Amino acid sequence: MEARPALSIQRSGTQQLNNCGASGALSTSFPVLPSALEEKYPNLPDSQQVPVERQFRPCTSTVVSPISSSSGVVGHMFSSSSGLSTDLHFSSVSQQEKHSRQSLFISQSTSCGTSMLFQQASHSGVLHSTASSQYTKENNDTSWCTDSLDFLDYPINQNNPLDSCNTGEILPSEDLNKRNWEWADQLISDDDALTSSWNELIAETNVTDPGLKVPQQSTTFSIQQPQASQQLPASSGETCPVVPPTPSGSGAPTKQRMRWTPELHEAFVEAVNKLGGSERATPKGVLKLMKVEGLTIYHVKSHLQKYRTARYKPEPSEGSSEKKHALIDDLSSLDLKSGIEITEALRLQMEVQKRLHEQLEIQRNLQLRIEEQGRYLQMMFEKQCKSGLDLLKGSSSNLENPLTDLTEPVLKSPDKSNLGVSEGNDHKMDEVGEKQKSPENEVPENLEATATDTPNSPPPKRAKLDE
Amino acid sequence: MKFGKRLKQQIQESLPGWRDKFLSYKDLKQLLNLISSAPPVLSGSVEYVRAESEFVVLLNKEIDKLNSFFMEKEEDFIIRHKELQQRIQRMIAKSGSEASGIDYKAEMRKIRKDIVDFHGEMVLLINYSNVNYTGLAKILKKYDKRTGGLLRLPFIQKVLQQPFFTTDLISKLIKECEITIDSLFPAPAEKKARGEIEAITVAGEGIFRNTVAALLTMQEIRRGSSTYSHFSLPPLNLPDTDVIKSVQLSSPIPIP
Repeated sequence: MEARPALSIQRSGTQQLNNCGASGALSTSFPVLPSALEEKYPNLPDSQQVPVERQFRPCTSTVVSPISSSSGVVGHMFSSSSGLSTDLHFSSVSQQEKHSRQSLFISQSTSCGTSMLFQQASHSGVLHSTASSQYTKENNDTSWCTDSLDFLDYPINQNNPLDSCNTGEILPSEDLNKRNWEWADQLISDDDALTSSWNELIAETNVTDPGLKVPQQSTTFSIQQPQASQQLPASSGETCPVVPPTPSGSGAPTKQRMRWTPELHEAFVEAVNKLGGSERATPKGVLKLMKVEGLTIYHVKSHLQKYRTARYKPEPSEGSSEKKHALIDDLSSLDLKSGIEITEALRLQMEVQKRLHEQLEIQRNLQLRIEEQGRYLQMMFEKQCKSGLDLLKGSSSNLENPLTDLTEPVLKSPDKSNLGVSEGNDHKMDEVGEKQKSPENEVPENLEATATDTPNSPPPKRAKLDE
Repeated sequence: MKFGKRLKQQIQESLPGWRDKFLSYKDLKQLLNLISSAPPVLSGSVEYVRAESEFVVLLNKEIDKLNSFFMEKEEDFIIRHKELQQRIQRMIAKSGSEASGIDYKAEMRKIRKDIVDFHGEMVLLINYSNVNYTGLAKILKKYDKRTGGLLRLPFIQKVLQQPFFTTDLISKLIKECEITIDSLFPAPAEKKARGEIEAITVAGEGIFRNTVAALLTMQEIRRGSSTYSHFSLPPLNLPDTDVIKSVQLSSPIPIP
C-alpha cells in the first residue's frame, strides 16, 4: 500500500469526473485499485475493534475494476456516469477528500487515515474544481491514503470502550469511503436502493455547507453518523457541526458535545442578528435560520447562553483581571506613567505568552514525530520478522513483498503487518503469529484474524503489491 | 513520580476553573500499580482483567473529560474572538471621528489588555492540551512497561485524533491575535532592549503568572529523564531565557 496508489485506471467515469472540473490530478488521486478494495472488503473485520493503525486508501470514486466484495459495495467501473449525478457525487466526495488532506490530520494520524475522510462538503453539490486541487494536495501525504478499506463494512455502532472513539472516527470515513464507492456503483448500475441512500447522504453533505468557506484546516464531520462515537479532530472553518458522541454511548442528544468553528459561529451570529439580537433571538428560531445539519436545539441553546454572557461580561471582567494583574504596582500614579507601565507590562506578558506558544508548537510537533517514528520502527521490525520468516520458508516470492513494502516508508505498522500477514497462506500467518512475541499479538491480532478470514484475498493483494 | 509532581504543580498554577479538568494522572498511576500487583497470569486472573479494564475505562473517561473541557473553552474563545474583532472594528471606526479623546485611549488600552489576556488564555489552553497529552503518553508508556501490553501504540494514535489534541483552530486564533496586536500596537524599536529587565515578581493568579509557570514547568519536565528512549522529548532549550528567568514566581497566594 502506498500512500499514493498508482493511478492506474482511467475510465470514462474518470473522464467524466475530469470533465466535471476535476483535474487530471484528481483522477490520479483516486488511484483505486479495485483489487485492493476487493481484498479490503472481505477483510472487514466484524469486530468493533478497529485497530488504529488501519490505513485508509484514498477514497477513489473511480472504481476501476469489478470488485467482488461481500459488502456489496461497488464493484464496477465507471463506465458511464450520468453527468449531473456524477458531479454531485464527485463534489461531495471531493469535498470530503479535501479534509483528509489537512496536514493537521496527516501529521496527527498518520496511521489513522480516518481523519482524512472527514472532509465536509464545503460547498453544495456543485462540482468544484477545487476538488481536484484538493486531491492533488492531498496526495502528497500518505495519511489519507487508506490502505485498507476494511472500514467500509464496519458495523456502524461501536460502543466499544476502548475503540469507540476510534471507530467513531473511522466510521464516518468508512461511510464516506463506502459512499464514494457506492456512488460509483450507482452510476453504473443505477441501483435504486443505493441511489436513494446516497442521494440522502449527498443532500446531507451538501446541506451542511451553507455556503461558508472551508478553510483548509480541519474537518468537521456533519452528523450523518450520529453513531460515530468520535468526533473528527480539528474543526476550523467547517460549517458542519461536529458532534462527538460520548464513547459511553449515551443516547441523549444533549450529551453530545459539538465542536464549534468560527464559520459556524458566524452563521450563528447572522441568524441571531436577523432575529433581532441576542436578547430577542430564541434557540428555535436560530436553529431554523441556521439550517445546519446535525445542529440540535441544545447546542444552539447553550451557545446562545455563552454568547449572551460574553456580550455583557466585558466590563466586569476587565476590572477583576486588572486586580489580579499584579505586575502593575502603581495604579494611582499619573495616567501617563501608569499608561506606560501598563503598556510595558502588557508587552512583557505578550512576549512570554508568545514564547510559550512557540515552545508548545515545537513540543507538539516533536511529539507527533516521535509517534510517527515509533510506528515506523514498529513496522520495520514487523517487516523484518515477516521477511525473516519468509526466508525460512524459502519462498522467494514472498521476499519481494516485504521489500516492496519497505520502499514505502509511510505505511503504518499494523497495516503493514496486516498486508504482510495476509500475503502468506493461512498457515503461514499462524506461524507468524506464533513466532512473534506474544504481546505483539494483541495489536495485530485483529489484522491477522481478518486476514485469516479471507483466504482469497492474498492473491489479489499480492498482485496489487507487486505493481 | 516526577511527572506527577510537576503536573500537580502545573495544576496548582493554572487558572482556578481549570484545576479539576486536568488528567487524573495520579489515579491512573494507582490503577496501574493495582494491575501490576495483581496476579500476573493474564488468562487466569480475574483481578488482573478487572483492573485492566478499569484502567482502560478510566482512560476513556479522562479523554472525554479533556475533550469536553477543551471544546467548551474553544467555543468560548471563538465567541470572544468574534466579540473582540467587533470591538476593534468599532474602535477603528470611531477613531476617525474622535481622534484622541481620553475615553478612546482608555478604551484602546482596555482592548489591548483584553487581547493580550485572550491570547494568554488560548496559549494556556494549548498548554493544557499538551500537558495532558504528555501525561497520557507517559502513563501509557508505563502501562506497556509494567504489563507488557501493547496498549500504548494504538491508544496514542487514538489520542492524537482527539479534539483536545487537535489544536489547530486555537493556534490559528492565537496567531491572528498576535497579528492584530502587532498591527494595532506596533512595538517601538527601542523598547526591545531586554538586557535590563529587573527581576519582576509575579504574584497573583492571573494569566501571566500561569503562563510563566507553564513555561518553567515545561522546561523542568523536559530536563532529561532517567528513562530516555526514542519516545522521549529532548531537553527544552529556551532561547532568551533571561526573559523568563527574570520573572520569578512568588508563592501562590491563597484565593481570598
